[in-house]
Amino acid sequence: MKKMDYVTLLKANFRRHKVSLCGIFFLIFIISLSLCTVLSVWQNSNTYVRQEMERLGFGAMTAWVSNVPDIEELADEVARHSEVERVGVQKLIYSDYRINGMDSDSEGQLVVYDPAQCPYKIFTESLTGYEENPIAIAPGEIYITPSLKSMFDVEIGEMIQFPIARQGVEKKFTVKGYFEDPFMGSSMIGMKSFLIGEEDYLDMAQIVKESSINALASAGFMLHIFQIEGSTLSPSVFNSLLNDETNLPGYIKFTHSSNAILGFMVLLQNVFTGFLIVFAAVLVVVCMIILGHSISSTIEQDYVNMGILKAMGMTSGALRKNQLLFYSIGILGGMLSGIAASLALITQLLKMTITTTGVSIPGALSIRLCGLSLGVILCLLFGFIHFKTSKVAKITPLSAIRRRGGYKQLKHRSIVPIGQKGLSFWLALRQLVTAKRQYISVCMITILLVFFIALIGRMNAWLGADGAGMMNAFNPAELDIGVQVMGDINREEIEDVIASYTGITDSYLLAMTNVSVNGIDYTANVISEPKRFQILEGRSSFAEDEIVITEFAAKDLNVKVGDSIKVAYRARSKSYVVSGIYQCANDMGNNIGMSREGFRQIGSESPRMWCIHYFLEDKSQQQNVMQALENRYGGNIHLHENTWPGLYSIITAMQLLTVFMYGIVTLFIFVVVVLTGSKMLYMEQKDLGIYKSLGFTAQHLQFAFALRFGVVSLIGSAAGILLSAVFADDIVSSLLRMSGISNFSSHLGAASMLLPAGSVVSLYFIFAYAAAGKIKKVDFTALLVE
Amino acid sequence: MKKILISAQDICKSFNGQSASERVLDKVCMDIYAGDFTIIMGTSGAGKSTLLYVLSGIDRITSGKVCYKEKEISSCNEKQMAALRSREFGFVFQQSNLVSNLTLFENVAVAGYLNKSHSAKQVQKRAGELLQMMQVEKAQNRLPSQVSGGEAQRTAIARAIIHEPELIFADEPTGALNKKNSEEALDLLTKLNEAGQSILMVTHDVHAAIRGTRLLYLDDGKIIDEMTLPAFTGKDARNREEQVSTWLSSLEW
Repeated sequence: MKKMDYVTLLKANFRRHKVSLCGIFFLIFIISLSLCTVLSVWQNSNTYVRQEMERLGFGAMTAWVSNVPDIEELADEVARHSEVERVGVQKLIYSDYRINGMDSDSEGQLVVYDPAQCPYKIFTESLTGYEENPIAIAPGEIYITPSLKSMFDVEIGEMIQFPIARQGVEKKFTVKGYFEDPFMGSSMIGMKSFLIGEEDYLDMAQIVKESSINALASAGFMLHIFQIEGSTLSPSVFNSLLNDETNLPGYIKFTHSSNAILGFMVLLQNVFTGFLIVFAAVLVVVCMIILGHSISSTIEQDYVNMGILKAMGMTSGALRKNQLLFYSIGILGGMLSGIAASLALITQLLKMTITTTGVSIPGALSIRLCGLSLGVILCLLFGFIHFKTSKVAKITPLSAIRRRGGYKQLKHRSIVPIGQKGLSFWLALRQLVTAKRQYISVCMITILLVFFIALIGRMNAWLGADGAGMMNAFNPAELDIGVQVMGDINREEIEDVIASYTGITDSYLLAMTNVSVNGIDYTANVISEPKRFQILEGRSSFAEDEIVITEFAAKDLNVKVGDSIKVAYRARSKSYVVSGIYQCANDMGNNIGMSREGFRQIGSESPRMWCIHYFLEDKSQQQNVMQALENRYGGNIHLHENTWPGLYSIITAMQLLTVFMYGIVTLFIFVVVVLTGSKMLYMEQKDLGIYKSLGFTAQHLQFAFALRFGVVSLIGSAAGILLSAVFADDIVSSLLRMSGISNFSSHLGAASMLLPAGSVVSLYFIFAYAAAGKIKKVDFTALLVE
Repeated sequence: MKKILISAQDICKSFNGQSASERVLDKVCMDIYAGDFTIIMGTSGAGKSTLLYVLSGIDRITSGKVCYKEKEISSCNEKQMAALRSREFGFVFQQSNLVSNLTLFENVAVAGYLNKSHSAKQVQKRAGELLQMMQVEKAQNRLPSQVSGGEAQRTAIARAIIHEPELIFADEPTGALNKKNSEEALDLLTKLNEAGQSILMVTHDVHAAIRGTRLLYLDDGKIIDEMTLPAFTGKDARNREEQVSTWLSSLEW
């Protein structure tokens, strides 16, 4: 076949099937755009944060220490360890803080800005670039991470208060600007760094020292510990070695490996990338189904022409190659356009999310990763086209000439009789039964789309409007209000204040402290009522020699229920039996739970370690109660509720994801209906002409046409909802494991369950009705013989 | 005096891109009477089918006026035309044009359902009777693709009359049939006309044309002549054929 023949045939194909080509182009464009964007954001985030951590001098492990008598001696001791290359020290002040009347959920750390030691990047005021030269921080000024903007709605020029000691001793700073913190800048991390000048640090350290036991803040250090080059030790083994062989455990507040920090920093990107990649995979399958339908319909429409071309000497191979070339135009065009559009979208997306991620991630396209992914999709689609066009080989000149239209058999005729009442419905149903192959693709696509949006709906339902679902997953046990007493305040006094607003239905004590388990640092959730832990396997740690661990800790420590492990708190340690696996996503699941009695075996209690968790009779009084306690006790108590500022970023992101999903689903349904609908209308135009000649109005026929899509999408939606009920929780669990949540379990109400189905069915019906507007133009020429 | 069913005044029809001198129909004036078996004849391309379709409202005229029972239909909207087709008109095409995924019975019944003056049961009963009358009752549960052309065309005739239309429009109804099937279809139409059914049929076949009682000749978009014949009895076929042939010859057909 000559080159010109291909061009001629391609032109003819384009004239005849331009709607199909445009549809395929559009679908591939969406897939390419979303995939390139999400993969680039994911890879750039991970690469950039790691690079910045290395540039700033954060090692393989960071230990937060306090009450260290001689930091140089401790740093030297650690540095002398055979597995340690060097240790960097950053001095800091640990303190709670208050912004715009809101108390911080976690401690902040005020770090002295020393560009020579740790060259943090300082953002320009508009957050669109960096200051070129190191800045000077004057006394009373502070630099914050941009994520505090989204968490506390704080702006430049506003005030941040740090309570340093009881009796209202506090330090106030004016926000001067923003800095990039690749270590804890993300709104997913509760603890936040602040950059201050040397003078303020010394002033605060002095107050802390003078306040002695009345101090609320404390001085400490971050030790950035670098592993020797070529070390094969895993982070947990490295951590364990240092705990066993140095004096570090005596001063540790908590430790994290660089991998764990990176995981916290890019948690949001990783979780959402996971969802969007799964969604993109669903869209690729949807695209293949549409492509398959389009190829089959095209061959059906061109059956006679292909037979004639064969009679003229064209081979099946040449015809198939022509089909491949034709669809390649749409596929490659869509992919390249998607890549081009993603360049703008990546930059825009990263710019928009800087107040959530806290870092300015480069907006470059991840060429290798995107190229590889799109290459795989391309091969998949080409292979699929090759497979689907194999029907062309069965066309012979004779079969084309003898071809007679119409349905050969009607097996299910008896189950769908045509009735006078609801004639449109019965005719639509007959069309569905007799041409079911054409509608199977629509049904399959609907199943996939509904499944996915139902899955997102389940996540939203789990999360709840106030994020309670996620908070329950992160908290070791549920609560309404948490009160941590810092001074000499009687518990009864606090409860009297609460009781003046609403009754207390229940309460328990919870403390979070650092322990080492088999030598590795973990957070221990010590609880007065172990029955409150959310147990996934086994039972709670009721006995004093029992603990519960998370699924992640079990995997990390390689232990199971019934095994014994050594738990150490400062200098004391004891062997405990793992009585169960529990859910707590705090520290990405790196935590254990034990009873108060269990903790007493290795540590001594202090009144200030406990946080009293209350359940209120009237939950609507929660804010009033907190305000009253705050007014009465001020800095002498720390209050929290079942939320944290970063949660709102997640809720907002989830809402955006839901809108995005519905948007994409709407576009896909539109393309599906236009593509399949136009082919169906083309093939049915004679029947439509007959119906019109009998006295059916175009509106009548339009309604019957839309009804078919309505019925098919209803069946597909029901199947999609059913599938989501069976598989969604497992899929979401596997994605949320990245954040430490292993037991995702959703419970959808009837309304939430029907929303995706209702939306999808309505969209199909509306688009099909609009697409069937062409019926108005169907004339009777199809019925006439020239 | 015969009742006028359709009255056409100065109707013109030209297709897109055609100039006035190339009109398919050029100021045609004519009346169609109740009870007549009217035949439109003419050379190929004379505009016979176009005339049938503009008179039935299936196609729009470029200018002029078409009235059905004194009501102008050339300006009717789609809904009004649909109502007219489902109640007053019946159509038989050259090809049977049955809905491909409905059985023969359903093809006939659906046309009856549309005219809501009868219940579903009545429609089904009448559809059965008509199919019996058309001698296709044994194939009534088959699809159009599973029956012969003759059976399909007879079903199409049954469909055209199930709602008891005032006027049947037939466009070359025997054009795609063999001789035997043609005869059967024409016999059916003749029988219907004998019972009072008005029929307007386009044909270029003399053998079919002799079934008519009024013959119009169309040439270059104009009615140039007409002849009338008594009702067809079957016995005078040869004589009628000669009469019509002579008439056509005089028109240089």
